[in-house]
Amino acid sequence: MNEEEIREVLLRILGELAPEADMSQIKSDVRIRDQLDLDSMDFLNFLIAVDEELNVDIPEADYPRLATLNACVAYIKEKLATQV
Amino acid sequence: MSAALTWLAAENEKRSVKDRILYVALLIKATALALREVPELNGTWSDQEVRSVASDEINIGMAISLRGGGLVAPALPACDTLELGELMSRFSDLVKRARAGSLRSSEVTTGTITITNLGETGAQSVYGLIYPPQVALVGFGRISERPTAVEGMLTVRPVITAALTADHRVVDGHRGSVFLAAVDRLLQEPDKL
Repeated sequence: MNEEEIREVLLRILGELAPEADMSQIKSDVRIRDQLDLDSMDFLNFLIAVDEELNVDIPEADYPRLATLNACVAYIKEKLATQV
Repeated sequence: MSAALTWLAAENEKRSVKDRILYVALLIKATALALREVPELNGTWSDQEVRSVASDEINIGMAISLRGGGLVAPALPACDTLELGELMSRFSDLVKRARAGSLRSSEVTTGTITITNLGETGAQSVYGLIYPPQVALVGFGRISERPTAVEGMLTVRPVITAALTADHRVVDGHRGSVFLAAVDRLLQEPDKL
């Protein structure tokens, strides 16, 4: 899966969590939670959806690495590359 | 919150993402168990009988903000009896349905006390208003690193402020402080929640 495909999946998941938001306006290098007003429950649901769709289980210790959309894409790309 | 957060991190490390527990579940459970010790805070005021009516069940109403504005406070029934994982699962379901507009009417009318947790918005302390006919509300602020004395030494610990708003016709400051002390004590032993 390439970066663009990962980004598409993440934006779709985020769009389901924040249906009133315009995903085309999301800034890739700004904190997602601030842009979309996501609370910890929303963020957990985001991670659950990422696990279900991309088969990437993200440990709690790595949550700070997922602050922006770019960071999420990079992290997931790295994880997918190390999966057998 | 040191003990609670340390325990939670270790617990979540063992759990897959769909089973992880947020710290708010610890706040809910500690509040529910503290209400067993101060049951007069768990109930409603009856204008007809001009007295409070304590509830047998502890149904904590959780203030949930809605996307696009607004707030609802549906109840988690019998949450003192729920294991933390189950409590988290039911709370998650409640939030989903609240934001989807599919709560049952009974869920918004059966609360016996309400919790408002505004820490994530940055509020240090929350002094909420009671939802009538309930007689109390607990407000939790954000968890922040604060200097504190531990065994005579200055250190920095994660601390949360819990504030109780209570109907003075039902309870006085002494009982209110007993309740808050119980919440504090229970959060220091998260493995027992």
